[in-house]
Amino acid sequence: MSRKESNPPRLALWLLRRTSPGSHDQALAGDLVEQFSAGRSPVWFWRQVLIAIALGVLSEMRWYWPHFCYAIAGTAMPVIFGSAAHRAPGWLHWWTLPWPWSMLAREVSPAAILALTALAPLAAALAINGAFRWRSLFQTGLISVVLAGLAVYVPDVPWLMRPVPGDPYSKTMIWPEFQLLLCFFSFFVSAVLGCRSGRERPRLPA
Amino acid sequence: MAKRSYLGEMELMVLLAVVRLGDDAYGVPISQELLNLAGREAAVGSIYAALDRLGEKGFVTSKLGDPTPERGGRAKRYFHVTPAGARALTMTRTALTNLWSGLPQLKGKHA
Repeated sequence: MSRKESNPPRLALWLLRRTSPGSHDQALAGDLVEQFSAGRSPVWFWRQVLIAIALGVLSEMRWYWPHFCYAIAGTAMPVIFGSAAHRAPGWLHWWTLPWPWSMLAREVSPAAILALTALAPLAAALAINGAFRWRSLFQTGLISVVLAGLAVYVPDVPWLMRPVPGDPYSKTMIWPEFQLLLCFFSFFVSAVLGCRSGRERPRLPA
Repeated sequence: MAKRSYLGEMELMVLLAVVRLGDDAYGVPISQELLNLAGREAAVGSIYAALDRLGEKGFVTSKLGDPTPERGGRAKRYFHVTPAGARALTMTRTALTNLWSGLPQLKGKHA
């Protein structure tokens, strides 16, 4: 083996260090280097690293399943209650309110209603996980409303929009899926940030 | 919610390998033990994933050894079975023995 071949792939080790969130990343890397020094091939090394990264991501997802529930529920709510939520500003008579309450009622109330309805699945999932906290729900709801309120303005970015044929005053999104992804991502991030005070992930005692 | 305390197949094999290896139970010998005795070529990452789950259940503890040059200056993590882990192994063996005893001759559906 040449000197270059006798060293384990540095990029693979860097990736493992960067993406392996468990408490074993150094020991795991050491085991792989030890086996590589004993004659394993770079292909074997890369395969082991990719499997370790994939398992690490899956392991992390196990701890974030309530957050995924919330994101899925939050993304699905506009489909289920979308028209009802978008009538909310009218119920609130937003035009009769002084600024900035009128703007808040008009822009944020649909997002707030959707976030509130999506909190029920999150509460159930947290309770199943033994991590239910009223504070987590409150924080998550608040962050969701802020992020969803911001997300209202993102589709106004010109390069995401195209004109509707035959209607000079309307625009539609170039990728409608982008709005769904944005919605999912904002609900997921809200849950992660909002539930930070919940139960910490147990680590293997050293 | 009741905490899961039974052992999955991979967890059972890894835990048995840790018991067999005694004070030398770290990733590399555990994977060799699985290969030599169980015919399983398990990825090192999946062994650590199983050890992680066993640690969460309180069936193993671990401690870091000294860094060694052949591992690029990285330490080995040695694993030890806890009394709860030993109890889980005994319970699993009893359950499997009961299930195996009095079993009629194994035949596939189309054998």
